[in-house]
Amino acid sequence: MTNAVAGLGLAPDAAMVTFPIAMFLPGSDISPVEARKQEFYDGLTRWRSAFAGNGASEPPMIRVQASSVEHAFARANDMMLARRFSDGLPLWPPTRERVDWILRGAAQPRRRELGAFPPRGGVTTVESCAIALAMAGGRPEYLPVLMAAVEAFLDEESGSEQLQAASGSAFPVVIVNGPLGAQIRLNAGFGCLGPDPQRPAGASIGRALRLLQQNLGGALPGVGTMANYGGMRYTNVVFAEDEANLPAGWPAHGVERHSFAPGQSSISLAFANGVTNIRRRGAKKETPEEDALQGMYRMADFMRVPNMPGLAGYEHGTPGILMLPGVVAKTMAGLGWTKASIREFLWEHSRIPAEHLRRAGCPAWIEIDASKVVRESIDLDPWPITASPDNFVIVVAGGGHPTNSYWLQGYSPGVVGRTIELPPAFDRLLADAERDLGPR
Amino acid sequence: MVTLEFHDPSGVIAVKQSHAPRIASLAGKRVGFVSNEQWQAYRMLPLLKQLLEADFPGIEVLPIDAFPQGNAVIGSEETAALVKQSGVDAVLIGNAA
Repeated sequence: MTNAVAGLGLAPDAAMVTFPIAMFLPGSDISPVEARKQEFYDGLTRWRSAFAGNGASEPPMIRVQASSVEHAFARANDMMLARRFSDGLPLWPPTRERVDWILRGAAQPRRRELGAFPPRGGVTTVESCAIALAMAGGRPEYLPVLMAAVEAFLDEESGSEQLQAASGSAFPVVIVNGPLGAQIRLNAGFGCLGPDPQRPAGASIGRALRLLQQNLGGALPGVGTMANYGGMRYTNVVFAEDEANLPAGWPAHGVERHSFAPGQSSISLAFANGVTNIRRRGAKKETPEEDALQGMYRMADFMRVPNMPGLAGYEHGTPGILMLPGVVAKTMAGLGWTKASIREFLWEHSRIPAEHLRRAGCPAWIEIDASKVVRESIDLDPWPITASPDNFVIVVAGGGHPTNSYWLQGYSPGVVGRTIELPPAFDRLLADAERDLGPR
Repeated sequence: MVTLEFHDPSGVIAVKQSHAPRIASLAGKRVGFVSNEQWQAYRMLPLLKQLLEADFPGIEVLPIDAFPQGNAVIGSEETAALVKQSGVDAVLIGNAA
């Protein structure tokens, strides 16, 4: 709550009366309200903010001293844990030298402000992004992707202000299109949502975004974010669409969803709160047509759950991101499937019978939704999990193996795109990376 | 001895406005509620209304539903304008969890 207050431009405290969560549950004993009524009265009459001044002063540099480099590194990491800057894994201390090195990837001046990071409202600059990327073990050539992702994150349309603090454990998903992904060694293939020393960019870009969420945005678990589980939050999800394996006629995600020019390097940011594998391939003597159709039914059936995550993005966002391997996309395209026809199929076959909604208590969630489109959807039977087939995000990514597809369950009021701006000497950064990281 | 100096990643918070001044006393004042209708607000806020009315002579506590309710609307400029127009001296907002 204090984060939210700070995010509004107020001093980062507020007159609050807080109780254990048990009192907020159905059937609870609310007698503590009366027992502590004076605190409510004092909040209206006697409370004073503990913060004076405008709070905008730059925090001083942090200094550690030790008998060796190794000990200094360890002390710095201990200090970052103690001050709640860390994610629990070793960090690279963001020294001036390291941050200046990262800033070689900046196309904008280091002091340029991108906005206030919600909900706490930390002033977000090019430099603060570079600090986070340095801490996360990143490299200068990753900074343009992080900058675009942060700009999209700070866009009101993304829903980040609420999702940063909400209990539903949303995490940002950043999809990169265009040539830049391959240039900076961002994974689009096998294991693209996990660690990969051959294509390491996504881990540190996503980790840096998470550190910004925590350190500027105030999303400290159980304090600034009520995310019950917080899955995927070490590195969030950052991957490239496998454009080299897009079937002929299938537009890249950035072109299709955001109308970016083909070949334009861009990012697309959405929020998800689930990640699961859906078996796609058949197991016996099915024909290619049966193999494709059965796989489609498995995906649609999986989406047809009265779980309501899609409500957040029902009108303008997405019910989720379906990842298809290139080999599957090419096979399906050969059978006449397009991204659009796949969306139509999923939309039609993931609709939920009204009776299933009722027995799961879903109509109440639909009735209280802020969106008129959502509220009016209650009369639809079977109920579509999103307002339009166009809301499904379909990307071609993952290893060259046909057995599995991946579904990132959406929890995303919007899907926000940004083009990626590069510094003038970017080719030099790529050459440095080739030198430092060795052959591909 | 090795010295390592590095940036504080928590950045800067720009405070752009002050909290509302507190009132001297609740007696004889006009008080409103802004409710998101969640987390047992429908029970707790009416209890607080009763307590205020019992403890402060001359206080006027507006009905819990005097302003728009629900997470989707209580943060809007329209709701803020309605609160100002009502002439209340103080507002209680609930419930968060």
